[in-house]
Amino acid sequence: MKITFKVNGESRSVEADPEMPLLWALRDLLGLKGAKYGCGVGACGACTVHVNGRAMRSCAVPLKAVQGDEIRTIEGLGGNHPVQQAWLEEQVPQCGYCQTGQIMQAVALLEKTPQPSSEQIRAGMEGVLCRCGTYPRIEAAVHRAAGAMTTKAEG
Amino acid sequence: MLTRRDFVLGSGALAVAVSVPFRAEAGAEAAARPPFVTAYLEVSPDGSVKLYSPTTEMGQGTHTGHAVIIADELGVDLERVSVVTAEPADPFRRNGQMGSGGSWGVRAWYQPLRKASAQAREALIAAAAAQWSVPAAECRLERGEVVHAGSQRRQGIGALAAAAAALPLPAEPVLRPKSELRYTGRKVPRVDLPAKVRGEPVFASDVERPNMVYACARLSEVFGAELDGFDRESATAVSGVLDVVAFPGGAAVVATNSWAAIRGAEALRIRFKPTPHDKLDSATISRQMRAGLGDGAQPINARADGDWAAAQAAARRVVAADYEVPYLSHAPMEPWNCTVEFGGDGEVHIWAPVQTQDRNRNAAAAAAGVPVDKIRLHTTLLGGGFGRRLGSDGIAAAVVTAKVVKRPVKFFWRREDEFGQGWYRPAQAARLQAALDADGRVTGLHVRTAGPALSASFSPQGLPAGQLDGSSVSTIRESRYRPAAFHVEWVRVDQPVPMAPWRAVGATQNGYFLECFVDEVARAAGRDPYQLRRELLAHDPRALNVIDTVARAAGWGEPLPKGRARGMAFVESYGSLCAEVAEVSLRDGRPFVHRVVCALDCGSIVLPDGVRSQVEGGIVQGLSAVLGEAVNVAAGAAVERNFDTYSMLRITDAPERIETIIIESGEPMGGVGEPPLPPLAPAVVNALVALTGKSIRELPLSRHRFA
Repeated sequence: MKITFKVNGESRSVEADPEMPLLWALRDLLGLKGAKYGCGVGACGACTVHVNGRAMRSCAVPLKAVQGDEIRTIEGLGGNHPVQQAWLEEQVPQCGYCQTGQIMQAVALLEKTPQPSSEQIRAGMEGVLCRCGTYPRIEAAVHRAAGAMTTKAEG
Repeated sequence: MLTRRDFVLGSGALAVAVSVPFRAEAGAEAAARPPFVTAYLEVSPDGSVKLYSPTTEMGQGTHTGHAVIIADELGVDLERVSVVTAEPADPFRRNGQMGSGGSWGVRAWYQPLRKASAQAREALIAAAAAQWSVPAAECRLERGEVVHAGSQRRQGIGALAAAAAALPLPAEPVLRPKSELRYTGRKVPRVDLPAKVRGEPVFASDVERPNMVYACARLSEVFGAELDGFDRESATAVSGVLDVVAFPGGAAVVATNSWAAIRGAEALRIRFKPTPHDKLDSATISRQMRAGLGDGAQPINARADGDWAAAQAAARRVVAADYEVPYLSHAPMEPWNCTVEFGGDGEVHIWAPVQTQDRNRNAAAAAAGVPVDKIRLHTTLLGGGFGRRLGSDGIAAAVVTAKVVKRPVKFFWRREDEFGQGWYRPAQAARLQAALDADGRVTGLHVRTAGPALSASFSPQGLPAGQLDGSSVSTIRESRYRPAAFHVEWVRVDQPVPMAPWRAVGATQNGYFLECFVDEVARAAGRDPYQLRRELLAHDPRALNVIDTVARAAGWGEPLPKGRARGMAFVESYGSLCAEVAEVSLRDGRPFVHRVVCALDCGSIVLPDGVRSQVEGGIVQGLSAVLGEAVNVAAGAAVERNFDTYSMLRITDAPERIETIIIESGEPMGGVGEPPLPPLAPAVVNALVALTGKSIRELPLSRHRFA
């Protein structure tokens, strides 16, 4: 089945099993390796991407559900997104495997809640697991990015 | 010896060997270790500097540490230095093996890398001085150039490399004074982070090769069960599936994409041979370990200071407690995978996330049926290791699959197999006893641990009967506590469950046993647990400083808000002394950690922010384990098979605050990746016991109900 959707602003089509999770279409068919396989059941968040602006677990979203949708992946952030900068300034990642999912989750959180409290950050980031234990730095980096994005918006 | 194939230098480059003498650690496993391992430092004609190193970067920041040491001592900008994990070759081996583990990354390499960098610096200066006919003493090397002070002539090190390579290296180069070090001890950004934050394809699972196919493994659920057979068509009926390949312990379903491979693996009707442990469960394992604590068991002695029997006989009171911990999964976020390609030239290229390069290369060569030197093993960055990638249990099946399908293969395990084929942190039980005199002083300690031997499962040589498994008593055997009598022993209780070192290894369970028991003794004697530790460490100023530092910073003894309590623990491992105080309350009946204060004496440090990052990570992983992690066994297999059942810490349960105090005592440099983890569990448990008055002797805490 041919499925067409937008990835990072570009229209893309794949010929694939409509049940194939978006994750594998991105990684294997479109060569976008930023979203990671971690669990396959939507429980770890390493595969997090945006579907129509919402953070979703791409391992649990079948292709048939994203026909015509707008997908954003870590590759679409451009590399200098305020959240990515905050991640570098706080030196968040260790192994880094979960971090693309963390960053996409954080971007979605800040787009909805530009000035989150620590409690809101924790609630918003709960779905993405990190085994290296970078949670304290994730929390600090989301606060930092929120500050940077607000300053930018005001400027 | 080094062959040109193993290590090819560009022409005109200066290469300096880096010899790393490894200090012998206590324990039999260290005795067989050869004295040094070598890396190569290369200064290229373009002025860039590269270290070919046997260390694996799995997030712990070792490569950044190495780059900083070289940049400082040589005198170049950090951006000019890169560190690559070399392919296995003689110069990179330790004990015949190349690999990373034991928190050796920076502490073992600090002095040798400084020396090699200083040798390179002096040779480059000598080359410039000869060209200019000036005394070398009038020249210095800064920011990648040799500068002559008098004439202000300068020359980049790239242009000097060839001339320097022709000169003899100074045997005892002079190291730079601390005032000249630009990066050491300062906050330096990690070299591997920009690519990780951009989402670049840096992991083994991201490797793509032309004409590549995808293979998803289907492994036995019962530990160690062998393949009996499968119905090929049950998998090939799935669209996109190309083939099914048998290997010992399972089958690989090969397909045109990962999803088809997964679907095929799930659809595959597969049979495994019965094993003697098809009905094994956690209750049986627990019963057998606890039987090992009783009188009928045969303990192996690990430490016998003083006379325990006399201390016991003379005691006013003997306090005793039994403890038990479960198997734990490493659960690195990147499930096992590797990419294998048989080249036309007879070489087999493998891209893999491994901590033990030789072990994996040897396994690959045996599976491929080629000489070891035909295996080209490319170590990628690791999506987490924690000890799980010390094994070599996943590589042979990938090689077999690629050999059969005659195409490059990306071979991977599903998360369910990453959990099910865990090679876990051992489960273990322990009985601790303390003899107290009339004044409540500890006159004797007796510790017996009982459980499966990590080394019997993990070491290729196994563990002969009657020999001690070092990790089953580690940190207790070496404990700095000095009661008049201190007896430590271990009872071997074999189990068919595979095991591998888990971050901080034996210290994770043994630190919990000993440090929770110290608190139980203090309670029984009506004493403050911090003061009791001070008494047991009274002879040891370095250890006293660590617990005093943490107590002061944590405000030990000061009032807390109602419903909160503090707990302390002190555990030494991997050459570092670490004490932690946790502040705990109950939130909806579950433990919540507000604050952890950590004092870490690791001798001296290179990357302060790297150390902090490892402390935070160790505390969070330690908290994850103590709160909810356990691999339970039923029907000879792991019960928990994914993150929906294996309870790993989420950000909502992370400590609100972690405060790290790094103590640079000037003692030999200790490890950092592991030592902050073991004190966390006993610190949290001790706080909970102080809060609730309830005895907690089995982990994880999710097994207990708190009011």
